[in-house]
Amino acid sequence: MKGGLLKRTSDKLELMTLDLSLAGEKDLLEISERMGLALSLDEMKFIKERASRPLTDVEIQTFGQTWSEHCIHKTFKGDILTEKGTVRSLFKSYIAKATKELNKPWCVSVFEDNAGLVEFDKGYLAAAKVETHNHPSAVEPFGGAATGVGGVIRDILGVWGEPVAVTDVLCFGPLSTKQEELPAGVKHPKYIYKGVIAGVGAYGNNMGIPTVSGGIFFDSGYTGNVVVYCGCMGVLPGRLYVRNTKTSDYAVLAGGKTGRDGIHGVTFASADLSEKSEELRSAVQIPNPVVEERLKRATIRIRDGALASGVTDLGGGGLSCATGEMAHRSDLGLEVELKGLHLKEAKMAPWEIWVSESQERMLYSVPEVNLKRVLEIFKEEEIEVCILGKFNKSGRLNVTFRGEIVCDLELKFLYSPPKVKRRASAFRIPLKECKLKEPNDLGEELLSLLSDPNLRSREDVIRTYDHEVRGCTAGKPLQGELGGPNDAAVIKPLKDSWMGLVISCGINPFYEDPYWMAASSIEEAVRNNIAVGGRRVAVLDNFVWGNPEREDRMGALLRACEACYDFSLALDVPFISGKDSLYNESPLGPVRPTLLITGIGIMPDVRKAVTVDLKKNGDLVYLIGFTKEEMGGSAYLRSKGATGGSCPKVDASMSRKITEVLVEAIDSGIIKACHDLSDGGLGLTAAEMAIASGGLGLTLDMRQVLSQVRRGDLLLFSESTSRFLVEVEEEKSEYFERALKGIALSRVGEVTDMPGLKLIDPAGTESVLSASEMRKAWRGY
Amino acid sequence: MRTMKVRIEVRLKAGHFDPEGDVTSKSLRDLGFPAGEVKVGKVYTVDVNAGSREAAEKLAQEMCRKLLANPTKDDFSVEVLTVEGRATQKDKR
Amino acid sequence: MELKKSKACVLRVGGTNCDLEVKVALEELGLKTDILHMNQLADGTLSNYQMLVFPGGFSYGDYVRAGAIWGKEIFTKLRKELGKFTDDGKLVIGICNGFQVLVEAGLLPGNSVAGVPTASLANNSSAKYECRWIYLRVESRQTPFARTIKVWDTLWMPIGHGEGRFILPSEEALNELVKENQVIFRYAMPDGRPADGRYPHNPNGAAYDIAGICNKKGNVMGMMPHPERAFFGWQTPSQRGKRKARGDGRCVFEGAVEYIKKY
Repeated sequence: MKGGLLKRTSDKLELMTLDLSLAGEKDLLEISERMGLALSLDEMKFIKERASRPLTDVEIQTFGQTWSEHCIHKTFKGDILTEKGTVRSLFKSYIAKATKELNKPWCVSVFEDNAGLVEFDKGYLAAAKVETHNHPSAVEPFGGAATGVGGVIRDILGVWGEPVAVTDVLCFGPLSTKQEELPAGVKHPKYIYKGVIAGVGAYGNNMGIPTVSGGIFFDSGYTGNVVVYCGCMGVLPGRLYVRNTKTSDYAVLAGGKTGRDGIHGVTFASADLSEKSEELRSAVQIPNPVVEERLKRATIRIRDGALASGVTDLGGGGLSCATGEMAHRSDLGLEVELKGLHLKEAKMAPWEIWVSESQERMLYSVPEVNLKRVLEIFKEEEIEVCILGKFNKSGRLNVTFRGEIVCDLELKFLYSPPKVKRRASAFRIPLKECKLKEPNDLGEELLSLLSDPNLRSREDVIRTYDHEVRGCTAGKPLQGELGGPNDAAVIKPLKDSWMGLVISCGINPFYEDPYWMAASSIEEAVRNNIAVGGRRVAVLDNFVWGNPEREDRMGALLRACEACYDFSLALDVPFISGKDSLYNESPLGPVRPTLLITGIGIMPDVRKAVTVDLKKNGDLVYLIGFTKEEMGGSAYLRSKGATGGSCPKVDASMSRKITEVLVEAIDSGIIKACHDLSDGGLGLTAAEMAIASGGLGLTLDMRQVLSQVRRGDLLLFSESTSRFLVEVEEEKSEYFERALKGIALSRVGEVTDMPGLKLIDPAGTESVLSASEMRKAWRGY
Repeated sequence: MRTMKVRIEVRLKAGHFDPEGDVTSKSLRDLGFPAGEVKVGKVYTVDVNAGSREAAEKLAQEMCRKLLANPTKDDFSVEVLTVEGRATQKDKR
Repeated sequence: MELKKSKACVLRVGGTNCDLEVKVALEELGLKTDILHMNQLADGTLSNYQMLVFPGGFSYGDYVRAGAIWGKEIFTKLRKELGKFTDDGKLVIGICNGFQVLVEAGLLPGNSVAGVPTASLANNSSAKYECRWIYLRVESRQTPFARTIKVWDTLWMPIGHGEGRFILPSEEALNELVKENQVIFRYAMPDGRPADGRYPHNPNGAAYDIAGICNKKGNVMGMMPHPERAFFGWQTPSQRGKRKARGDGRCVFEGAVEYIKKY
């Protein structure tokens, strides 16, 4: 680096000043690299051109943090150059646009605050947020996953919500991966799996928030890039939602101590994973759920006393992002003195304190009249607290350390980063025919699918999560006498209301066309929600993608976003919150592009929640929806190692029709059991219903299935969307059939008192699978 | 009075079932290690002010009886590691 | 004592997280309930209450051992007052982590806040945290908490813990506990027979399938299962589409309320 560029300017502080005006392009890149900024040359030049004086390391770090992909989502807000022209902001052109057009009065706050807010009941709002914590979990699975949960819980606290449920969707490399196949720096999936699950459980259990919903997937596309989605839902009285920081309010930091752990977490998350990541262990935060439990109590007490004017959590970027954001969103400025901060280590440089991502910290803005009371509450809850400074009208972020100025930036400058430009190539996949020999024994095929790592029971994991704490779990993650799966979890968060919060998810990473992958995921999230009795569904999007600077990754992302817009509108489900995690690349290549859609519905009476287990001998079993030959990316095809075929598509108008009548049917009480059809198709769904039920089974006559598909295996395992298998009392069947007029409906069998599944294939051949052999295949015991 | 660093080890009494040890042993064998029985314990290092090594040891034993060990299942041992920053005789050897 | 004039106190420290559910349950039965942080206890505070609850959670992060740190804190700060409270025949219940705390404080199965545990709630045999609904067999009605139920009744409620394997230092200690009718709940098969160590019916490997015990006098009880999570019918899992009208855990609190009325 050029001489004179970097100077130590303080005799007391570990503070450096960089005179960017002396820096050439090479120097700028070197600075970005050496300071761990993850900023591009364009961005560095942008800073250089606009800085009128040498910048301190604290200031340059603030740019790095604020402009990171993780914090500002520059790809989603940037320009995308395609063959057909430029897309100005994926976010505004697709995701938020759909929400805007749907313009639902019950959406209270979307894409604005730490979490999305929708109306719930009796003046209460429901808050929802889903995050990813992939990079930290790849390097330190337990701590990475635990702090992922901790972080998303703080997002709910950051909108004054009382957390009521946690969700987790996890994607790992195959557990059978051979150690020799792994490049240096990539940890064995088994190690990651154990650590991540223990971490998720530990945080939720310790905080006393039930982990109620989720999913686990295995694929070689995740071996180098583990995917950890953590979600949290909460409730709050609408009248206590306040986001109104004013000049002269105090900025109060509370919670855990600030240390070197988690330095550069966001820039870490905005860069590819490599062997060097091991050195970045310091970028991983250390979890302490008991502090967060106390922080939760204090936050709720402050909320109930209407003592603060604003709140936000410290997540990515630590103080550097939280302070700026809070001041900027209220068009204010902020003066901060770092001296009073409680530190884990004595000798931290100002910039380290400023960007540390130590966990369990929240920032509050507190009017002077309430300050004393707020401090008392923290004291009673045994929470360490520091008054950072005061908000003012300056529009500047002014930071001192022991009186010396270490940062003085105009917030407008800080929050107007240069727009990034990304190129997207058109996404094309050649349509391949799928050639697969027809198997002899459908029963055998079904049993083998039941034990597929991607389809088998998750009981061993679910039971390590406390899903009953708070005593509000009305719809359980394991259902029926023998612990079958559920479609969605139902929480009854309010004491004096029967209203349920219905939490579901949709995820289909194996469908190769990103458009239909996204479409089917949205439809699945809705479908799962409806299946238990949910309605008025809002959705959250969480993209996990590879490096967006690569045209092919970008092309696929664009296509998925197009589907988000189309199907949010067509299915009438607004997006209320979302997050993207890009740069998921490892020596093994990019992550399998993955979009998680989380559905948040409501149901007026939790007592009417429908479960998957069979209820009564002699009841009729109907298949709702039309079955097409849609095998592309299906669990069946993958289990055979086969590719090709067309993946499931979504007929939105049919889907809406079905969900509308199904909600009515559930409300009228004629649906005794319901399970949606997804991975593994009709076969899996029927088997799971039988597995859940004690003392009952069902017959499934495939000759009755409305479809043009003739081949037994394709009929049984096709993953066509918008389908449900339901149990209806015989006396109500006429009424039911009338209600579903105009919808593909097949009466496929009945409930019997013989536990298990009697399968009649299209040729009329019967095969019988006992409940115990299916259970053994599915659960492993 | 001097500051001494005391190492306290709390472990399950002989013959007590150690589920964590069992699982760890199995996991080690899965990884190809010729691991037999594994016992899991906890180690605390505590700085104490005491007049002598013996007094420090006594204090540490008292800590075990009052908090760190549950006599129903736990055994413990204590060892003075350093006296005011210096390693003790035993450690120097 | 008139129920309207009585009050229960649910204590909490950092890491406690099942306090609210217990308050909801008790207030549903008409017993006014305060949730108090240990910090909010002053001399004599306890004398305002007829019942004291140590709820579930991870008090102080369960560091050292589950319940150990809170248990010792009770010994140092509350020994005298709690001693008087129990001597007066007032009720104390510890649920899950609260049970661990009472054991660590020496209050169960022993009879005084001695600070030295005479039993242990060790790591589950499965070496895992477990959350599941289990069956309990009522073994004795020695405690007011079991007064509204019958011996050999079967109750259904959830557990959620990693350290719940109740063990005693000796065979004699176990015999003594049984002889004195201090074993209140045992893990059972769905038909009500003792689980006899069978997993998952006995979810943690507890000796003699012990899920809950009381002191000699019966007014102090500890149990690993969560009656407050099985209080309302809607909290119970549906079976063949039907839920219980009321949860089985309700009886534990009803027993307490009946006792307080007569106190």
